[in-house]
Amino acid sequence: MTRLAVALIALTWAAVAAAATPAGQLTWALHVTIASRFLDPAENDGLITPYMIQYALHDALVKPMPGGINTPSLAESWTVSKDGLAYDFKLRQGITFHNGAPITPEDVRFSFERYRGSGAKILHERVARVESVDARQVRFRLKEPWPDFMTFYGTTATGAGWIVPKKYVEQVGEDGFKKAPIGAGPYKFVSSSAGVDVVLEAYEKYWRKVPPIKRFVYRTIPEETSRAAALKNGDADIAYLLTGPVADEVKRTPGLRLVAPLLDGVFWLDFPDQWDPKSPWHDRRIRQAASVAVDRNAVNQAETLGFSKPVGNLIPPHFEFAKAMPPAPYDPAKAKALLAEAGYANGFDAGDFYPFPPYFSMGEAVAGYLQAVGIRTRIKTMERAAFQTAWREKKLHGVVLGIIGSAGNAATRLEPYVTKTGVYANGVLPEVEQLWERQARETDRKKREALLHRIQDVLAEQVIHAPIYELGFIWGVGPRVEQAGAGLIPGFAYSAPVEDLALKRGTP
Amino acid sequence: MKRFVLRRLGYALVSLALLSVTIFVFVRLTGDPALLLVEPGASKADVDAVRERFGLDRPLVVQYVRFVGGLVHGDFGQSFYYRTPVLELYLSRLPNSLLLAAVAMSFSLLIGIPTGVLAAVRVNSWLDRAGRIFALLGLSLPSFWIGLVLILFFSVYLGWLPSSGSGSVLHVLMPAFALGWYFAASHMRLTRSSMLDVLGAEYVKLARLKGLPERRVIAKHALKNALIPVLTLAGINLVIMINVAVVVETVFAWPGIGRLLYEGITFRDFPIVQATVLLGGSMIVFVNLLVDVLYGMIDPRIRYER
Repeated sequence: MTRLAVALIALTWAAVAAAATPAGQLTWALHVTIASRFLDPAENDGLITPYMIQYALHDALVKPMPGGINTPSLAESWTVSKDGLAYDFKLRQGITFHNGAPITPEDVRFSFERYRGSGAKILHERVARVESVDARQVRFRLKEPWPDFMTFYGTTATGAGWIVPKKYVEQVGEDGFKKAPIGAGPYKFVSSSAGVDVVLEAYEKYWRKVPPIKRFVYRTIPEETSRAAALKNGDADIAYLLTGPVADEVKRTPGLRLVAPLLDGVFWLDFPDQWDPKSPWHDRRIRQAASVAVDRNAVNQAETLGFSKPVGNLIPPHFEFAKAMPPAPYDPAKAKALLAEAGYANGFDAGDFYPFPPYFSMGEAVAGYLQAVGIRTRIKTMERAAFQTAWREKKLHGVVLGIIGSAGNAATRLEPYVTKTGVYANGVLPEVEQLWERQARETDRKKREALLHRIQDVLAEQVIHAPIYELGFIWGVGPRVEQAGAGLIPGFAYSAPVEDLALKRGTP
Repeated sequence: MKRFVLRRLGYALVSLALLSVTIFVFVRLTGDPALLLVEPGASKADVDAVRERFGLDRPLVVQYVRFVGGLVHGDFGQSFYYRTPVLELYLSRLPNSLLLAAVAMSFSLLIGIPTGVLAAVRVNSWLDRAGRIFALLGLSLPSFWIGLVLILFFSVYLGWLPSSGSGSVLHVLMPAFALGWYFAASHMRLTRSSMLDVLGAEYVKLARLKGLPERRVIAKHALKNALIPVLTLAGINLVIMINVAVVVETVFAWPGIGRLLYEGITFRDFPIVQATVLLGGSMIVFVNLLVDVLYGMIDPRIRYER
């Protein structure tokens, strides 16, 4: 009996040990060109792309996780002082970088000061200093209360809170760090070839858990059909960004499946001429007509196989301070009635229609719905940088199909579009501006939320924009993958948390 | 001869100087790269910071002087997108481009020359017609389409070859064939026309009159002379294959210089575009210089031409 018990215990132990040992390889076919700057969080320019690798290679004090937008990671907890001027982070006990060096408050300070990506200016301006309180506690002192500090520091809006080893960076230099980075994430660096691939291997001492998959290979395959082919013949396990017929073909292939996390990116119509009293767009009824003229479900089906989610707000519902709003119902009869009521029973020439590059087919679909009720536009396609320049310089007229995907909260999302300092704002509603200034000073979270909700209500009532849908980012997933990590972190485009990914049993 | 070589060298340097100005100005006419390096909703401060970081806020003349100053020291600048030295990137891609170009050129010559010879020897026969159709297809079918068909057939359907990427001999076969077919078509057409010219020449008729077997006439007397223009074309094509195999390298995710140039253009990565164009241009200038000097050595009359 005793022998049997011992044997059972030994077997259980062996099974647990086997389960805890990383095994197998997962290969991604990426739609973007891998750059060495993706390996260094100090270089993040506000785009979400580098985080596809940084969630594996690096770690932050606090970061978006399935549990929440500011989930403690390298910091086991964080607090804010009553006056809103000090943020304290307590590091976890015994955590180390991949080279075995302990993670210290000095590394936190160094990483913050070294950070030079998006938001660096505002962060460095508003933070007075970073202090080591003791061996595990670090304090950020602000010059004045800043309710959005954690939105900038503790999310993917910036890379300032992602920690790199000070001694190692100083030892190998900036270029050396990009060639052989050392981080604190669940996977350590093995090799990389600029524009080609990155190979990582499980770091078994990762604080959260031992990653179950031994090796990650990220390969750039820019052409969509080639990515799908790599998925089909087993060269890749996950292929990002599949669209239209290619995605449909993957869907029909036995053993493969499509998944589509909803991104922070929301498509919406902007009406830049609404601020001109002589323009038909100045009339709220015209803007409302345009909004109800669009069949969001049909566009979603045609463009993203139904994976996107029609919305009534350009702030994703999972954002802090976002107010969930239903999408405008498709009602062409109402659209025509609104036009007639506004004095345009026979429709009107609404100017140009600029789709955000490269979403031209979506632009054509939306313009088609506008045309059907009498809002006649001419599609104008532009190269992306030229489009963005023209939009920012307020040179676009008519209708703009925009998309924005920056991380943050409702306030940071709205700022570029509805405030007097907004780079895309052609005009401002006085009520919104007043509310905006109040919320920026408000340190009471509930009061601030009420103010931001009121702003969203006003924008919706006045139909300042016509939100279309939250974009579903379609991936193909191969037969070996058990858990691909799609959508586990709300709004995140890529596989994450990577230490939760899993291959099916028996997969080599 | 010394003066001739020096003069040609001077021409080469002037060509490169003009190329540097041209590419520097033209690449900047495409617009502002800062907006492609930030999130669409980025603040003005963030966009300005990117411009400042890469020196794009400086006057054009200052930027050009810095660019040329770097060139003198062998520094082609840092990539905006990669944030690493451009020369390092270029040199990491060059071996892949050389390999792809070498295999593609082998394919194109192995296919183009025999079919061209057969087409010329059997003019207006079915062989000739088949050869011309082959050439027409090679020139007219878009290489991205050929690439995708090859991937679907050999990789997805048969499972014989990897679908994309690099790292083994098997990886290079499909991109080299897709690239080589296009050039095989031009080699075939030139071989055919050149062979037709040569086959009508007096010395070939004499060889036949002497009673030499037809195979020997074609192989020893006709083909040797007919190949001279073909090999000249092949030399130029090789430089093109190394530098601008953009579509094939993109479809097959082959990490060569063509794809680097494509990435540079896509991201408005000025240092990458400048470096790839200048280094590619240098190859062409160098090859031309070499040909000029060799011609000068072979034919003294060329040296005295002004």
